[in-house]
Amino acid sequence: MIRTRALRKTFRTREKGLFGPRAVKTAVDGLDLEIPAGRVTGLLGLNGAGKTSTIKILATLLRPTSGTVTLDGLDLVEHAREARRRINLIAGGERMVYGKLTGAENLRYFGHLYDVPGAVLRPRIGELLELVGLTGAADTPVERYSRGMTQRLSIARGLINDPAYLLLDEPTLGLDAPIARDLRRVVAGLAAEGRGVLLTSHYLTEVEELCEHVYVISDGRHLAAGSPAELKAETGSHRSVRVTVTNPSPELESAVVDFALRLGVRAELGAAEQGGLLVTVRHPEDVAGPLAGAIVAAGGAIGGLEVTEASLEDAVLALTGSTASPAGGRSAVSA
Amino acid sequence: MSVARATLHRTWTMTRRAYPWSYAVGCLLIGVFTLGLSYLGLHAIGGGSVAEDFTARTGGADYLGYVAIGAAGYMFTVRMLLWSSKALITEQRQGTLGALLIAPAGRLPYLLGFTGFALLNTAVEVGLLGGFAAALGVTLPAWHPLAALAGLLALTAAVFAVAVVLGALMIVAGEAHISQNTVFLAVSLLCGITFPNSYLPAPARWLAELLPVTSAMDVLRGALGRGQPLTELTARLVTCLALSLGYLLVGLWLLPGAERRAIERSF
Repeated sequence: MIRTRALRKTFRTREKGLFGPRAVKTAVDGLDLEIPAGRVTGLLGLNGAGKTSTIKILATLLRPTSGTVTLDGLDLVEHAREARRRINLIAGGERMVYGKLTGAENLRYFGHLYDVPGAVLRPRIGELLELVGLTGAADTPVERYSRGMTQRLSIARGLINDPAYLLLDEPTLGLDAPIARDLRRVVAGLAAEGRGVLLTSHYLTEVEELCEHVYVISDGRHLAAGSPAELKAETGSHRSVRVTVTNPSPELESAVVDFALRLGVRAELGAAEQGGLLVTVRHPEDVAGPLAGAIVAAGGAIGGLEVTEASLEDAVLALTGSTASPAGGRSAVSA
Repeated sequence: MSVARATLHRTWTMTRRAYPWSYAVGCLLIGVFTLGLSYLGLHAIGGGSVAEDFTARTGGADYLGYVAIGAAGYMFTVRMLLWSSKALITEQRQGTLGALLIAPAGRLPYLLGFTGFALLNTAVEVGLLGGFAAALGVTLPAWHPLAALAGLLALTAAVFAVAVVLGALMIVAGEAHISQNTVFLAVSLLCGITFPNSYLPAPARWLAELLPVTSAMDVLRGALGRGQPLTELTARLVTCLALSLGYLLVGLWLLPGAERRAIERSF
């Protein structure tokens, strides 16, 4: 298990220019995390919450300012080289492979860096290329790969040392939907094989699908932890009822606002895509019936009604105190 | 040594694919121009002879032989430094530094592999320069093969050690041009490349003694220009190796912190 205790990381920066006053920025502030083997653990938070700093500390790229990180009881700072044999990192935003080498050459070189014996390395390269669907492009220089192919090769590179723990920082960033789906299948399979996986992802549906346990952080601090279902229940962020009103009027809007206030929530009013007024009310209970009743009683004509179950996105937004992004779009939350 | 060998092979493959053969012509030009301009200067300005004090300071009147050894030494130093010191900042620029740093491989074998590639590459270039010098009629009046080999090894060690320090400074600063050109300028002015550094003022000579390239060049000149045996060059050889070891230890001590700074700077 990877375990952090009171993990803290600060950066010294210049507030302005080369000679401006120094400032200390706290990226991670007292985090306690546990990433067990055989499970996908999620790490969520808004942009700048400290997720990437945390993952880079766990990958031994950054040294914590204070606190401890252990991997199966091994101190990650004191025994960094030994820890590196057991972990690997896949970062979606970074290339991490050589453009002038072919896919197979990249994997062979990284295999040498991880001291993988030749007899093991040769078949493993073939297996990994097959796993990420790049067998046909094994001898093509990476600079001729598409972004998705490069990302898949980066995933194969992350598995070259057969790591016990895998750190995934936005692994599906920029990937097409079918490739991202295949990758999710691979990640689930890796956890089922007994590996510990830490996942941050911009796409919360992905986290919800893969993670049994999720940590939510903000400003480097722990906000909440639990399964996606527990987080949704804990935050009380819940069903969204969206009603399209075809004949909006100021009186009707006032009636909807009063209705929401009586429930102790806020009504969101906006323009519907197909014209008219879009009313959104989020509440733990299903308030579709009473809301529709209130609209009709105020003289409104209902053009459409949709009830959406609570999502992890809603829970994270509620926890971090942020505002929701447009329905159907990708969230303002990033993980 | 698997990491060193793999890094050498990887870098050779990448370089072969990245640069056309004509790139090598550009690399040769530093030495060719140095030698060509010295030839023109000697014959067009000096009338084919050198001043008496040059003979007194160098122990011979073969100016072109002196410059040829200096140009070859300088080209060797510059090319080796360019490749070896830029290894890590090149990884940073192409987005592979993180992947390299999270691997358990030690940095020394990695850098040795990179320097091994640089040595092969530079040996070809210096060999071609030697051919150009021979075409100009430059000969080595007396040379001692064993001492020359020791000089070459000393220069390789000196350049490698300086490259480790320079490489650490480059990734901290996030730039290569100012730092590398400062070192090239210092080497060309202080280390006895085209003129004996006894012409320099005393403080500059002391500074020159802090660079292991200076003593390595003295060994090479003694072996190639005056045919001195190893026994007569031991003091300068030991000075070079001691300084190189010092630079290497400082460089390896600086590298882990420099690498962390480079990663932090990307935030």
